[in-house]
Amino acid sequence: MFATRRFRLLDYLVTIVVILTINFMVPRLMPGDPFLLVSAEAGEEFAVLSERQREYFMSYYGLDKPLHQQYLIYLQSLARGDLGHSIQYREEVTVIIARALPWTIFLVLSATLLSTLLGIIFAVISAWHRGKTRDNLLLVGLVSISEIPGFLLGLSFLLLFSVYLGWFPLAGASTPFVRFDSLLGKLIDIIHYAFLPIIVLTLSRVSGSYLLVRNTLILVLTKDYMKTARAKGLPERVIRYRHAMRNALLPLVNRIALQFGGLVGGAVLIENVFAYPGLGSLMAGAALARDYNLLQGILLVLAVGVLLANFMADLVSRRLDPRIR
Amino acid sequence: MIIIKKWEDIASTVCSFWVSLTLTGKIGLAILVLTAVMALFAPHLAVHSPFTASDETLQPPGNGHLLGTDNMGVDIWAQICYGARISLYLGFATALLAGLGGSIIGIAAGYWGGTVERVILRFIDIMLVLPRLPMIIFTAAFFGSSLENIIIVLAAFNWPGPARLVRGQVISLREQGYIIVAKSYGASFWYMLRKHLIPELAPIMLVSMVRLASRGIVAEAGLAFLGLGDPTSKSWGMMIYYATNFKGIYFTPFWQWWLLYPWLAITILVVGFALLGRDLERSTDPRLRYMVSK
Repeated sequence: MFATRRFRLLDYLVTIVVILTINFMVPRLMPGDPFLLVSAEAGEEFAVLSERQREYFMSYYGLDKPLHQQYLIYLQSLARGDLGHSIQYREEVTVIIARALPWTIFLVLSATLLSTLLGIIFAVISAWHRGKTRDNLLLVGLVSISEIPGFLLGLSFLLLFSVYLGWFPLAGASTPFVRFDSLLGKLIDIIHYAFLPIIVLTLSRVSGSYLLVRNTLILVLTKDYMKTARAKGLPERVIRYRHAMRNALLPLVNRIALQFGGLVGGAVLIENVFAYPGLGSLMAGAALARDYNLLQGILLVLAVGVLLANFMADLVSRRLDPRIR
Repeated sequence: MIIIKKWEDIASTVCSFWVSLTLTGKIGLAILVLTAVMALFAPHLAVHSPFTASDETLQPPGNGHLLGTDNMGVDIWAQICYGARISLYLGFATALLAGLGGSIIGIAAGYWGGTVERVILRFIDIMLVLPRLPMIIFTAAFFGSSLENIIIVLAAFNWPGPARLVRGQVISLREQGYIIVAKSYGASFWYMLRKHLIPELAPIMLVSMVRLASRGIVAEAGLAFLGLGDPTSKSWGMMIYYATNFKGIYFTPFWQWWLLYPWLAITILVVGFALLGRDLERSTDPRLRYMVSK
């Protein structure tokens, strides 16, 4: 229904400029004194500064320079890879993000892969038994689950499987203070902790790929060349996977690209529900502490990540699209 | 005489609308109406006050408290009834702001075309690519946590969806014969808007607004859950925030009423919006309009 949105390189650059500008402007548009937040001690609301202290801090942080100069300085430090200093953790923002990023990447990639795979599998089952009970059940079931927002679904899974049944841990990415003898043991532990977040993230997205592939398959199955293939005596499996799936591949890749932003957003909330130590939890903590260097850094990383994913999906879809060869 | 006729008209429109919904749509609408009733009649439905303690803290359901009490001794059923007001207010305000604003932008893009359209379209595409929730969190962290600010932030990041849909519809409309004829007769923009565009666009705008309301409520719950909500509003999201931030909530039985019921309330409301929205989508799909059977 939507035309495939092809971003040229220029569009990506413009988007990055927009992100950088938003990142730069929002803290400066903030009502009130920036120093209220920067220099207040933990637990205190205000830091009372004398005029001279204010002037000193303003010049120290470069906040007395004209806006475009501040912007240039900001861009320069970004180019150097300097994302600033976190007030909460008293560390470089880049270091803090580097610690949390792998967990988020793990969640997001697993959920994308799993939701696409499951969507395809269910769609194949559905399309092959279309109109019958199996199809209807799958349709109603998957669509209903996807209607429930990810974070509410996550809360319910947490309450049911972790709190009530005790099958899964309540927080974290791996068992603390434990050293594993084998890589396998460590992997199993990590999966044990990541299981619920990944499942919830997957379930909240699976209906997208499911509906897409199912509809494409149903359309394709009625076409004439399917009858030709059967008449040729090709085995059922070849027909299913080679002919029918090919057609669904391109819209699927496009869909993954379109959805990626939403997936990342969902991951942020779900990480908070399960206290998973990825960028999501980091971001929530930074927002509460008004640690705006860290917030800016995380937003930048997330936005650039989503753009990268879109870019790669665009490349892949360009190669797959028979119209552009 | 005229007044009676008006009531009959309203009644018949409502009835035909009701009949046109499928069973799931009816369930959705029923959920919404019930929530509205709960919100409107909150002072009568809830015996206790939602703002002050009325009993011991953390009482389980029963004993005069339909859903128990929270950690301050405030009745949970009362909080849920009054919280319905916040949720509905928030949903409709966001839907109105983002829906109307987005529609206006979409109409501008579709009707005028040219550079205006290209610029707006690029802007919409950029905003749709970026991860919405992190940007909302980022902005909400800076612009503060009053309910009005949250509504503005939510509207600011949700208008591209309706804008895009409306623009698409306007584009297909402006090729219609009667539109071209009207324009060639010198119809002004406002005339076109009033007589032709708005009636055609109204169904899509309605569907968008239903979805926007649902998204707004979920987003506010999400923000509140993260601690960025309005602490003075007794929204369901804030109830979940206080519950999940209670030390040891998962090791005690309190979650079974304090956390569970606000969660249930939000989920049911969102599902209601979703059911209604799906049904409206089905019946206002422009592709179906030109089908012979009905």
